[in-house]
Amino acid sequence: MKVLRALSRTKLYWGLLLICLIGALASPHSSSGNNIFLSYGNLTDVLRQVSITGLVATGMTMVILLGGIDLSVGSVMGFSTIICAMLLTKSGWTAASIMGVPAAVAVSFMVVAFLARFVFSGLASGHDETAGLRREIALGRWRGIWIPSLLGLAAAVAVAWFTTNQVPTKFGVLGVLLVAPCVALVLGAINGVLIVAGRLQPFIATLAMMVGALGIGRLTAGQDNAVVAVYTGTNATETFEVLRSMLWGVVPMPSVFFLAAIILFGAILRFTAFGRYAYAIGGNIEAAKLSGIKVVQVQLTAYLLSGLLAGIAGVLFVAQYRQGKPDAGAGLELDAIAAVVIGGTSLMGGRGSLAGTLVGVLIFGLLSDILQLQNIDSNVQLVMKGLIIVCTVLVQEQNLGQLVARWRFVRRTKTSAEAGTAEPPRPPSAVRAQFAREHLDEAS
Amino acid sequence: METRSDAPAGSDAWRAQPDAKAIGITRRIRRGTAPDPAVLVAEHVSKSFAGVTAVRDVDFDLRRGEVHALMGENGAGKSTLMKILAGVHTSYEGVIRVEGRLESFGGVRDAEAAGVAIIHQELNLVPELSVADNIFLGREPLIAGAFIDGRRMVRAAERLLRRLGASIDPRCRIAELRIGEQQLVEIAKALSLDTRILIMDEPTSALSSSECETLFKIVRQLAADGVAIVYTSHRIEEVLDLADRVTVLRDGRRVLTAPIGDLSRGAIISAMVGRDMAAHHRGTAAQDGAVVLSVRNLTLDTLTSRGWRRALHGVTFQLRQGEILGIGGLLGSGRSEILESIFGVARGWRGGEIAVEGRVVDIQSSADAYRLGVALVTEDRKERGLHLGESICDNVALPSVGAMSRFGLRAFARESALADGVVRRLSVRCAGIDQRVATLSGGNQQKIVIGKWLATEPRILLLDEPTRGIDVGAKQEIYQLIFELAEQGLGIVVVSSEMPELLLLSDRVLVMCEGHQTGLISRETATQEAVMRLAAPGMASASWDVLS
Repeated sequence: MKVLRALSRTKLYWGLLLICLIGALASPHSSSGNNIFLSYGNLTDVLRQVSITGLVATGMTMVILLGGIDLSVGSVMGFSTIICAMLLTKSGWTAASIMGVPAAVAVSFMVVAFLARFVFSGLASGHDETAGLRREIALGRWRGIWIPSLLGLAAAVAVAWFTTNQVPTKFGVLGVLLVAPCVALVLGAINGVLIVAGRLQPFIATLAMMVGALGIGRLTAGQDNAVVAVYTGTNATETFEVLRSMLWGVVPMPSVFFLAAIILFGAILRFTAFGRYAYAIGGNIEAAKLSGIKVVQVQLTAYLLSGLLAGIAGVLFVAQYRQGKPDAGAGLELDAIAAVVIGGTSLMGGRGSLAGTLVGVLIFGLLSDILQLQNIDSNVQLVMKGLIIVCTVLVQEQNLGQLVARWRFVRRTKTSAEAGTAEPPRPPSAVRAQFAREHLDEAS
Repeated sequence: METRSDAPAGSDAWRAQPDAKAIGITRRIRRGTAPDPAVLVAEHVSKSFAGVTAVRDVDFDLRRGEVHALMGENGAGKSTLMKILAGVHTSYEGVIRVEGRLESFGGVRDAEAAGVAIIHQELNLVPELSVADNIFLGREPLIAGAFIDGRRMVRAAERLLRRLGASIDPRCRIAELRIGEQQLVEIAKALSLDTRILIMDEPTSALSSSECETLFKIVRQLAADGVAIVYTSHRIEEVLDLADRVTVLRDGRRVLTAPIGDLSRGAIISAMVGRDMAAHHRGTAAQDGAVVLSVRNLTLDTLTSRGWRRALHGVTFQLRQGEILGIGGLLGSGRSEILESIFGVARGWRGGEIAVEGRVVDIQSSADAYRLGVALVTEDRKERGLHLGESICDNVALPSVGAMSRFGLRAFARESALADGVVRRLSVRCAGIDQRVATLSGGNQQKIVIGKWLATEPRILLLDEPTRGIDVGAKQEIYQLIFELAEQGLGIVVVSSEMPELLLLSDRVLVMCEGHQTGLISRETATQEAVMRLAAPGMASASWDVLS
């Protein structure tokens, strides 16, 4: 039983192992006799391919943990690709830079001011464990308001200087990595405000954003076919190539972003008060509200971060596919949700982890890699994906013990029926139905 | 129909009432043909959950037309036994016979078909549907076999509810009703089934006294009509009043089955807890403490489907350090709303002035209340008080996580130390602080809810029905705890539906009636009669039960 329970708890990882095994066994061999699936190049390719979905799924995990959903990530990513591609290829005040520069300035002000205040309150809270829990931390006007504001202002000025300087030429890699995610973060913040202040259902608010952001993306691109091609070295800076290279020749650059996000946000969920609140709100929002948790702030932050990660994914998309287009992320939100769900995070919220999401994303990536190596039709791949979702969630939702227990129960009742404990017939349910009719008639 | 002709005169008189049939009793039994034959017999029933035995080799029999009370502390196995009888738990050991027939229910539907219905303590209603929809869920009257006949359903529901003495609009959504009213709907739903064996799991735990009295009348009528009733309640007076026989369970075993006439209150209690138990009164409270909470002219307007309704009409009181202020009144009189308004979580517009320790404050959320040292233990601990799926440690530490973390990083060691402290201080019975709270008994869950707020070192503690649905032993512990906290200088406000509890705990009693504050009486003058008079001015003749 103990073994079964241990198996049951780690079943997701066994699933991943199983897929790897299948991949290795079924893999074709290269001319020199090497297993292609297990080759370093193939495995890093898988990691590279899942990075964009993975980044989005990381943000999605946090939103779903809170009991929400973010359908807008695909469109937000598409919008981010447009912003990124236009900044890279067009100089001067284009639609992208008109939106991007103010967004980056505003976001940098907010973020730096917030971080400064956060650090001050951390310093002020001290480490005196004997002090009362409810001791009020009065930061005072200087440390509470003025210094954070000034620091924020300084950051905003610096960002404004940095970005406006790049407008007349074209944006560099740092520039787009700063601006495009900031724009996406603003869209995520709009989602959050609609949900928190407008009390819209997350599904509806983000659905509206999904449709709206696609339109904004097309308007921004302002082309008929709305694809902004990025050719590094010719119409864009060569340094942008960094984002599709291998870091130190070991890990693909997009995967660095993905793995860093998983580790960072995984740590946030596990080790910080914010993470604890996220689980508490997803588990029972009513009880969380009554426990003195600032539910609104946590929800807003989650949607904002989801937007931010979609924005980063957008930049990576441009690097990977050398183009920006408004519908770059079509269907991405569903891929992300599928990966999150396969990873064992409950759509009801309150249960799940980023480690699961990582595995979910990898299972998807490895599966399509295996099928591609076998030269299987991409439409078959879609069917397989669907099957994988159903199977893993079936296994996820009921732990193995329960599945086994049900078999046992069925067997037992069968044998007892065969043993012939003759049961006299029960009063037919028609009696009850008739009764209901009678009594309703009399009442009316 | 011929079976009805020779029914005893007493119950015929009742049946003759125009809406008698609306509650759904058809007579099938000729009373007197056999003296109280057993309609339900359970032999050697055992059930365990994941290795923990909840019910151990219990024999139980139920006779026609009797009210059989099932008693025991929380965790004694009452609920489990009832759920086995009602087909909720389908795997168990032992034998169950209904009217001599061997039964093994495959689910609640099977049990209902055999005439066994259960009313759960935890409400089982669809909040977004109307009262009538809920009562007839799955059994709706149809027009042309497809369309729901709403009007007939509403009218039938109206009759059922009137029979219960409840003034609930059957078109109302369940979500708009308070817990007590929802419970009445639940009872109406069970009564609408053609039931010969009715199992009631603490039906009165959330009812006001007048609702209880109505329910007792109905239970007696049902019994007189030949329905066998299994009944649990933590209110012993209620059981002494209502039951014909009592079975007491302790630690999953049957300790005692006897006719009620052979038993006293003390005998039942000592059978339940295995020791003698006496209520401890508190000494006189200091009346000269500083004022910690002052509420002036508090009003609350809430938006319902029928427009704005004033839920509180100007409540004014002061709470001193070390004082316990009780709030009495009928259900829906605005008691809980007072607490929620102070805590900043009431839905609607709030008016008036609240001052904490002399400073006028504006509490807009529970986070504000937390900062000011105000704590609220809600009435509905499972829905609003706890994260059932999480551990004791996580639950206890939740309100304090922010204060204990530095740079946002959680201090896990401090969190478990905090939980350890609470578990020890409140003597919570558990395997360890990593145990999930869902697996604790009601009394221990309640201790966790109180404990998670005590851990924040509050100065004002608001308790809404602190002993709802918990057993006698745990109740005494909670009372003792409340007294201790008052000794330590907390200001405490307690809302309670149980009169003896209210009078036992309170130094002063504030009485509410339909949103109005009708009185604020001191302990010396607070008798049950005095509180009753204030709580129900328009119902001078209404039967408030006297529970002592």
